[in-house]
Amino acid sequence: MRKTPLHDEYAAHDAKVVDFHGWALPVQFAGIVQEHLHTRSKAGIFDCSHMGEFLVQGQAALAALDRLVYADLLHLPPGRCRYSAILNDAGGVVDDCVGLRLGPEELYLVTNAGPLDDVAGLLDCPGITHLSDATTKIDVQGPLSREVLLSIGLEDVAPLKYWTGARMRWRGDEIIVTRAGYTGELGYELFVPNHLGVLLWRTLTAHPAVAPCGLGARDTLRTEVGYPLNGEDLSPTKTALESGMERFIDWNKQFIGKRALEKQRARPHSVLTAIRSLDRRAPRHGFELKHEDRVVGQVTSGTFGPSVGTGVGLADLPQELARPGIQLAAGPRGLVVETAEIPIYKHGTCRMKFE
Amino acid sequence: MQPANLKYTRDHEWIGQDGAQYVVGITEFAQNQLGDITYVELPQVGRQVQQHEETAVVESVKAASDIYAPVAGTVAAVNEALESKPELVNKDPYGAGWFFKLEDIETSQLSALMDEAAYRTFLAEESH
Repeated sequence: MRKTPLHDEYAAHDAKVVDFHGWALPVQFAGIVQEHLHTRSKAGIFDCSHMGEFLVQGQAALAALDRLVYADLLHLPPGRCRYSAILNDAGGVVDDCVGLRLGPEELYLVTNAGPLDDVAGLLDCPGITHLSDATTKIDVQGPLSREVLLSIGLEDVAPLKYWTGARMRWRGDEIIVTRAGYTGELGYELFVPNHLGVLLWRTLTAHPAVAPCGLGARDTLRTEVGYPLNGEDLSPTKTALESGMERFIDWNKQFIGKRALEKQRARPHSVLTAIRSLDRRAPRHGFELKHEDRVVGQVTSGTFGPSVGTGVGLADLPQELARPGIQLAAGPRGLVVETAEIPIYKHGTCRMKFE
Repeated sequence: MQPANLKYTRDHEWIGQDGAQYVVGITEFAQNQLGDITYVELPQVGRQVQQHEETAVVESVKAASDIYAPVAGTVAAVNEALESKPELVNKDPYGAGWFFKLEDIETSQLSALMDEAAYRTFLAEESH
């Protein structure tokens, strides 16, 4: 298994390590529920160094990237982030990604670990630098995350609004920070050169408001707010429309997979939809969903949601059932679940405004 | 319950005598493997179960698992506290986190289960 630059730090915090897409990563430290609740109330930090980063420089490289993604990253104003995805010809999701426009001719692209080899192949062109192996990524998430970063000498995060980002300096080096995340809370993603990774991790864990968190809490946090996970809810065999991405698609530009999506758009198709159970039992990945005794779809991710106190999940469902309040039976034991509005957990602080 | 006085299954349940009844729970190793337990489904009192029969369900954040009867018997009591506080299984697996009690058990099955020393050896072998 591959190890991130922070791997040797896990043991000091009693991590349980698992294999995630070939990476040895902590699934939990103190415990999933405790880490989840800590992130919702204070600040959790997550080692996301397994993820992919690319620096795209120059008009030709930007144009090459633009053909691969359904959102308009060419006209993204400097300082802004945008969610998008790379599709195949059939409209299936190869990977979802976030672009940060750093300057007029420069964009930073963040992708996932699972499909990274394929994505790196697609992005292999002049002007695009693959930085994944040189980059340590630490997500700092939670209502106290801004205070924490200000206290460790990252004053430049102060003006960042939701879904913006910037280059800044820390301990004499250039780093990139976006105000984004995967938890629904106020939070930041920090991209630092590997030699600063351990120092940043230790500086953060020394802060009394900070707790290290693993993939388990990352999963419960994202599921409660309805964010899909690549490889679980998203796959190359499911189109962007079926993945609930319609609102992010820019139909005025060209991109690979567009023709397939335009055809599918006119026909009924399934849509990724949030579900929740009525008690503490959780729907699980792969559970069949029945509506009035007819199999209508399946659960793509499901877990207990510590902040909502019920099972939560995402499921592929026909469009006509992809609206809140539809009752379904999940799995072999017929667990009662209801379709729900996204986010299921509604008290997230991600959009918090500052003077 | 004192772990030294209990018998153990290969599925990481424990069983221990309490007067005429036998208390069943899951081991420290099992609760640690499962992680945070979020839901426990308990059997009906009076239900007759066979050895290895699925008798309770435990859900953690990550997955749902069946709890099997270590021996045949009749369910005499269940730990209702787990319905609202499933985390008791994590906090006190040999005490407040017990699952159910059996009576009229098949005593020959009980004596064939592992004692604490055998269970420790079994755990050491499993982890290799």
